[in-house]
Amino acid sequence: MTDAVVFERVTFEYPGAAHAVLDDVSLRLPEGSFVLATGPTGGGKSTLLRAINGLVPHFSGGRFSGRVLTASRDTRMFKPRDMADAVAFVPQDPAASFVLDRVEDELAYGMENLGTPVAHMRRRIEEAVDLLGIDSLRRRSVRALSGGERQRVAIAAALAAGPRVLVLDEPTSQLDPQGAEDVLAALARLVHDLGMTVVAAEHRLERIASFADVVVGCLPGRVIVGRPAEVFDRLASGPPVTVVGRALGWSPAPLSVRDARRHAAATSLRRSQEARPAAGPPVLRARSVAAGYDGTEVLTGVDLVLGAGERVALMGRNGSGKTTLLRLLAGVLPPSRGSVRTAVGPPRTGVDVALCPQEPESVLFCSTVAEEISSTVAGRPDVDPRRFIREFGLADAADVHPRDLSAGRRLLVAAAAMVATGAPVLLLDEPTRGLDPEAKAALTGFLAGFAARGGTSMFATHDVELAAAAASRVVMLAGGEVIADGAPEDVLGDSAVFAPQMTRVFGAGWLTPSQVIAAASS
Amino acid sequence: MSVHPGAWVVWAFCAGLVAMLTTNPFYLLPLVGVSWLVYSARRIPGPSARSFRMFLTFALVALVLRSGLVLFGTLDAGNLAAAALEGLRLGTLLVVFGTFNSVADPYGVLRLAPRRFYEVGLASALALAFAPRMIAAVTRVRDAQRLRGIHISRMRMLPALAVPVLENGMEDALVLAESMDARGHGRGRRSRYRPLPWTVASSIVATAAMTALAIFLIAAINDVGGLVPSMLPPAWPGAESILVASVCLLAVPALSPKGDSP
Repeated sequence: MTDAVVFERVTFEYPGAAHAVLDDVSLRLPEGSFVLATGPTGGGKSTLLRAINGLVPHFSGGRFSGRVLTASRDTRMFKPRDMADAVAFVPQDPAASFVLDRVEDELAYGMENLGTPVAHMRRRIEEAVDLLGIDSLRRRSVRALSGGERQRVAIAAALAAGPRVLVLDEPTSQLDPQGAEDVLAALARLVHDLGMTVVAAEHRLERIASFADVVVGCLPGRVIVGRPAEVFDRLASGPPVTVVGRALGWSPAPLSVRDARRHAAATSLRRSQEARPAAGPPVLRARSVAAGYDGTEVLTGVDLVLGAGERVALMGRNGSGKTTLLRLLAGVLPPSRGSVRTAVGPPRTGVDVALCPQEPESVLFCSTVAEEISSTVAGRPDVDPRRFIREFGLADAADVHPRDLSAGRRLLVAAAAMVATGAPVLLLDEPTRGLDPEAKAALTGFLAGFAARGGTSMFATHDVELAAAAASRVVMLAGGEVIADGAPEDVLGDSAVFAPQMTRVFGAGWLTPSQVIAAASS
Repeated sequence: MSVHPGAWVVWAFCAGLVAMLTTNPFYLLPLVGVSWLVYSARRIPGPSARSFRMFLTFALVALVLRSGLVLFGTLDAGNLAAAALEGLRLGTLLVVFGTFNSVADPYGVLRLAPRRFYEVGLASALALAFAPRMIAAVTRVRDAQRLRGIHISRMRMLPALAVPVLENGMEDALVLAESMDARGHGRGRRSRYRPLPWTVASSIVATAAMTALAIFLIAAINDVGGLVPSMLPPAWPGAESILVASVCLLAVPALSPKGDSP
């Protein structure tokens, strides 16, 4: 089999950087394989992906040595646009990458540049539209789409250009569990049926691991390439089933729920009685609230009570109204019917409730983390900003520019700046986008600490495993209403789509790897 | 029936030039009305409607600023009236441009540009994308900062709005430039998916607009019709009915019913 992508002794350093982000990397990715790139933030995943079609170094600048051959073309000789017929690239934030206004024109854009005959274009667009399930969107404006819809359109536009190699940076980060499963299955079909090579970077390994043929593990200064089980072992990471399998000595460590079930049958777990602390007094109450935009109702009637010390995961498919509900609870969006009340009155934005927006970058404007927190507490001399820096574990980064931090820590800075308002309720809108496991652990730790101090948090997320690990309660939205509300093991365990891997393997009541490992060794 | 982006370019060019040729309010005010009619009848639904309102605001600001500037010079009724009329001309131009922006898909117009102008095309695409994204970003950042008790109304807090908007704007522009290149923008060959047909309506719109411009040019060359009325001393300017009628020719696009989006 020939190789679709070859790196030969590639070393690359961004302009002004102290260290090379790729250091003497050599690897071969065989044609027709599904490649997963994973590793911590800062490990060089994105750089590696962007080197495949020459965006690195043609757009990044910096020092580049060695060579990259993609579809037998040397990226030093070919610019990204000269590779466009062979490689398609879907960046992490598809919203910023759209060129034209209408979805259908956006799908045709790449083919127009390649001079594809019109008859071929029509057929390819039909295929891409069917594969991604976006037929209903074709006449819409790309600017009016939800995050998940944009992600599908961006992938369809890349596919329509008919590449041999498809490179995707976190292609499912904004998709709900079912949507992500569908997109990954569609990509796997292209690999199997058409021999396309797919290279995807992902942090959430639980869905993608079973599709991957090859895993590229990117660590700072080191890249490991091999079969999934082998690379996960060496990285000491992997989806929850792999982590549990490794801890319990299952050999080979399973990659899918199906593999894990065979071992699980022979494993006995002793259930310990963990009493979950009861929710404190109600701090925020929504009574049959409805809201919408431009005459269409997104929420039709939601009843919800948040108690002190609760950590609530807000879940539901793309477009189910999660962001709208958070905006209602924060007092940013007035309800069209019903009411939102704290113990004393309507929620005061930034006083009773803080909301951390989807892009944490949109609130950061100071040149150090410490200033960022201080600017929130300005005018309240009785509040010590250092308290929040400590609570969020940011002490070592107090004098760092927020934009020089990893995506995960930037989120913590934005959350700290919001919590510094003193609001007892913190709402987070999809905080896990682009977070590596370490950053997710930091977020989980913070939420637990915040709850222990009596704070209430609610976070919208598509990440089932995070909800299982971090939430004390799960609220599920669908069709503008709350369709399930209760303990994670009840709400998630009862769902075919939202159940975390541990529930799928060991049955109801088991949520996280650490819980299972503790029960097996006791 | 749909109107070809090229016909919209002709319309905007003619209407803009007509506005440039005169400061007479009896021609400019009907032109503003005509623009409004065309906008109402043919606007593309979506964010473009917001950008029309933005241009309308700019137009009012231009009118007020131009009239206000005279306060620094000799203040008399004649100067003030002349300045107000010049402000009106500038405002009318902005309204015409705003209308063009919301009736013709700017990206559709961009694609008419010959491929050889790669850099120009790239720069215009970035510029066209910038304005609507900035408007969206300003709203988003202002809302987010309000949530931490920072109100942008005070001048001192302007960085809290400007820094994230500009930084994210720069990052977005870079992503767009990379994306365009990675998708083959600027390669030699090119084909068109669903090329828009040059319809009968397109011909009618373009012919009517060019006729209006021709009549104004003739009037300007022969110095008739009071295109640039003297305001010393200030007096109500006169107007030729044939010139007012030719301004109305620019309303032709509003007459034909809108078919598929243009």
